[in-house]
Order: sequence, then C-alpha cells, then structure tokens
Amino acid sequence: MNDHHNHPTPRNRGAAIRKVLIEAVLVAAAGAVLAFAANRISPHGLALSRNYFPGATNASVAAPILSPLEGLKEKGLQWVDAKGALQRFNDPRFKQQRVVFIDARDEDQYREGHIPGSYELDAYHPERNLAAILPVCQAAEEIVVYCNGGDCEDSEFAAVTFRDAGIPNLKLFVYAGGMAEWKTNGLPVETGEQNSGTMRAVGK
Amino acid sequence: MKADRSTKSGRIAELAEVPARWLLGLVFIWMGLSKALQPVEFLKSVRQYDVVHGTLLLNSIAAALPWFEIICGGLMVAGIAVRGSALVLAGLLVPFTWMVLHRALALHSNVPFCAIQFDCGCGSGEVFVCRKLLENAILILVSIGLVCGRGRKCCVRYELV
Repeated sequence: MNDHHNHPTPRNRGAAIRKVLIEAVLVAAAGAVLAFAANRISPHGLALSRNYFPGATNASVAAPILSPLEGLKEKGLQWVDAKGALQRFNDPRFKQQRVVFIDARDEDQYREGHIPGSYELDAYHPERNLAAILPVCQAAEEIVVYCNGGDCEDSEFAAVTFRDAGIPNLKLFVYAGGMAEWKTNGLPVETGEQNSGTMRAVGK
Repeated sequence: MKADRSTKSGRIAELAEVPARWLLGLVFIWMGLSKALQPVEFLKSVRQYDVVHGTLLLNSIAAALPWFEIICGGLMVAGIAVRGSALVLAGLLVPFTWMVLHRALALHSNVPFCAIQFDCGCGSGEVFVCRKLLENAILILVSIGLVCGRGRKCCVRYELV
C-alpha cells in the first residue's frame, strides 16, 4: 500500500473528486442514451411525442382541484351514474349494439372482469383496437365508457380519444362509478374476451 | 470515510462495500424493471407529481428513467464505474425523496403522517410514506458510502477514468 492512498493530499482529493464527477457524467450520458434505446426496442415502450392524457388539464393528485365529475364537465363530457349505466345495460338497444359499453382499462384488467359485452379500448394504447371499435361506435346511438371509477381518468381519456376520432360528444357518456361501483352493486361481470360467456359471481 | 486497506477495519469496510453495492444495484434493477414493464403506470405516477409539464418531457422521463435505473443498478452489481454510478444513483434518490416528502406533506391534513399511503411511482405499488422515506434514506447513505469508499472486491472495472 503506498502513501498516496493512506494520506491523500488536498490536491489528490480534488483530483479524485474530479474523477468521480467525470465518471458520473459519463455514466449518466451513456445510461441516458442506452435507456432511450431500450425504450425504443421494448414492446412496452412509450412513444415520446404522443399525448397519453388527451384533454387533461391539472395533473396534481397532491392538490386536487377538480372532483371527477367536475373534471368531466370541464372536458365537456357527459356522465352517467350507476342507475344510468344499468338502464343502458338493460336497454334492448344494448343487444342490438345501438348502446355500446367500452372498457377503457388495460388488457389484463379487462380480462380479469368487465361489464358483459363491453368492448376493450386501452386508453393509453388506442392504436391496438380503436380501428376495430370505431365503426361500432359510429353506428351506435349511445356509448358508455368506463374504467375503475374513483379517481381513475382512463375513461375520460378514452372518451376524448373517441371525440377526437369524430364520434359526436352527444353520444358519449362516462360511467364515473366505473367497474368498482358495478361490482359493489353485485352486477354481472364477464371474464376473458368479449362475449366469452364466462361470468364471475360478485358478492354485493 | 475512505477505507484504509492496510488496517483490519479498512478491510472490513472494503468487504462491506460488496453487499452494499449488490443491495443498491439489485434494488434499482428490481424497481426499474417493474416500471419498465408497465411504463404507462409509471407515466401516470410521474404526471401526478405535477413537477414536469409538457408531453415530450413527461414521456421522456417515464420512458428512460426505468431503463436508466436498470443500467445503473447493473453497473453497481457488476462493479463498473462504482463511484460514478453511486453518485448518479444518489443524484436520483435525493430529489425523488424530496418529491415523495413534498407530496406526502401535501396529502397530510387529517391523516397522521405515517399513515399516508400512496403509489409513489417507485415500482412497488402503494407504500406507507414513512417506510418509503426510511428506505430511501438508507439507499442514499449506501450510495454516499460507495461514492466515498474504494472497495474494489468483486468489481469488473472499479474505475472508468
């Protein structure tokens, strides 16, 4: 062991600090480049320029300004409560696809349980199935979009995506209570794919 | 702070740096992976902190940060550019811990501080704020210890420059 390691002089210390700083800058720069490259090739990667929160205004949860319903109003969206959602679910037009339910959550949540007959539209990846759903929505008279309820905003973003895709605002309804309220009310829940017929019992 | 390798305590300190490095590295790899596999969830968390505005900046952070953490964690585990990587990790941990504290204080009105629970975007779902702050404080201390130390055991390349 040499003396240089045991008794660092101020000059040596300064050089060592500089070395660590340079190393940190190199790690940060190389890490950033590799990180963006990894995002690019990842199947889960984000598109950097895409607005994942269409129509969003204030994001802060720490200092909430708007209640969910106020948020909907601000975005110019209509909403339905549990009664309104159930009425539409039992409406004969639902069977004829003149009333359509859209689940705005991700695929895993959809498969775990959705309102029977709902279409799946992941609000953050609309490119996956918007094209397939859009003709159904254009033909429908009413579209009910939902997510988990509470402070979940996915249904709002999906509704705005539909509106941006040319669906008239008058047709769009956000079910604010969402899946959580639906399940709490003991209503039927379908698992797996749309119209799979597999129902899961939900206790009231 | 630097381990004097000629003394017994120095050798112990040097040896202790190996598990410390692995712990820090593995924590970052695990947290980075859980975010990288669900980047949209992480994007929502970043947005909720309300400190970054603008689509490009918000998306860039949510897209790159998880992978950046995995890369830095990997460097720590492998023992490459240890002090520089530890400094970078401390540089991530300090502002993040401040943001968690800031958000917890904003939520702290009727609820006791340590009962506050939220998804901090750390990749581990909802957490109690006191526990998260304690964890982060330990990770910051470990990072700083590694920046100041010079344990070269089990390192592929301790220094880059």
